Amino acid sequence: MTSKKELLAAFVLTLILLVVGVISYAAFPAKPPDQPVRLMFKGVAGNVLFTHKMHTSESGYDVACSDCHHNLEEGETDPQTCGECHEAVSEDEDVPAKTDAFHSQCIGCHQEQEAGPQKCASCHVM
Amino acid sequence: MINAKKFTVSHAPFWHDGSGISSRSYNIMIATLPAIIAGLLMYGMPALAVVCLSISSAMIWELLMNLATKRPISIGDGNAGVIGILLAMLLPAGTPWWIVITGTFFAVVIGKEIYGGIGSNPFNPVVVAIAILMVSWKDFFDFDQALLNYDLNFVMVYPLAALKHFGTSAIGGFSIFDLLLGKQMGGIGSTFGLGIIIGGIYLIIRGIIRWEISASFLAGIFITALLFNISDPDRFAGPFFHILTGYTLIGAFFLATEDSSSPVNFIPMLIYGAGAGVMTVLIRNIGIYIDGVIFAILVMNLVNPLLDKIRPKAIGKVG
Repeated sequence: MTSKKELLAAFVLTLILLVVGVISYAAFPAKPPDQPVRLMFKGVAGNVLFTHKMHTSESGYDVACSDCHHNLEEGETDPQTCGECHEAVSEDEDVPAKTDAFHSQCIGCHQEQEAGPQKCASCHVM
Repeated sequence: MINAKKFTVSHAPFWHDGSGISSRSYNIMIATLPAIIAGLLMYGMPALAVVCLSISSAMIWELLMNLATKRPISIGDGNAGVIGILLAMLLPAGTPWWIVITGTFFAVVIGKEIYGGIGSNPFNPVVVAIAILMVSWKDFFDFDQALLNYDLNFVMVYPLAALKHFGTSAIGGFSIFDLLLGKQMGGIGSTFGLGIIIGGIYLIIRGIIRWEISASFLAGIFITALLFNISDPDRFAGPFFHILTGYTLIGAFFLATEDSSSPVNFIPMLIYGAGAGVMTVLIRNIGIYIDGVIFAILVMNLVNPLLDKIRPKAIGKVG
């Protein structure tokens, strides 16, 4: 049996932690940063973890925004996300489907630069 | 034999030394602090939210079960609090609130209370809960995905996932020293190896957990990982990597050693620990799951009653 003192302590602790927990959840909702750090592309062939910040930062690969976000206008700083135009299935020949766009974008650049993975299992988690 | 020392016991009344379930719980809570604090410093408020909600909801579930089953209110013994802390240590920072509350429900109600409360649970309640959560919502336990928005000053890839998917060439960036100091992705309280080891040694010294289980678990992991590593160094990582990543250390000191789901005699404890260690590496290296600690401990919990049949010979028994 537990003593009354311990029981009281347990009640007080529960209440305090509950309040702190609820406030922490409410006041600090998980929202993604303006510029993604990493992105997870999901697909049936296995997810791909893309290190967005590593590709764009000066200390990383220093790739310009417009190299990938190809419809970025001069001076524009808020690019569209890939999925806004590239859909899972494409009926428009000029706009490739999402998977095709990613494959040609990633592998194309890696081949050009002779850097980065090009084989399936080097990116896809299988 | 006539001069052999005898165990002498004085007459009643005896004096209670004041220890109890609550003091055990407080000690376990103290032991978790180094690892928890490291996790909070690393992941900030989202980690604090998970820890606070996990502890409080575990205690509330226990209180509700006490009331529903009309049994004495037992949250004062701190066991539910310990369950909440350990569960939070295994979860990634930023876990949604409903996963935390579901997790503590599985741990306290399904893992412990329906068997009759503390001491009657055949499985470690925390391990049961995590196993159910991992199988049900595996995306939330994909640490690479759960911690996408964190940019800390180390390799931001979950080491075991990198090893599983891309082989040992992908884990070259992790040094053993960094892993020991918690510079790796993982659960809130399961990455700071040094802190967990300090907490574990504290518990062993205080006599709260048995060193036999922790030591044999780590030995099982070490030897199995070493054998795999020797057989194919390109595919299988070395023993130190396995010991310092994933849930290994927290499993060795906090999960496998849970009272009612682990054996009490010397030989059974060694078999239990080593079995869980061996199975962990088997699951990691040739199974489909990234980390095998949870399932390995769960299976050994299942074997526990059989292991405890290996008893020392009764003194004075004839034949």
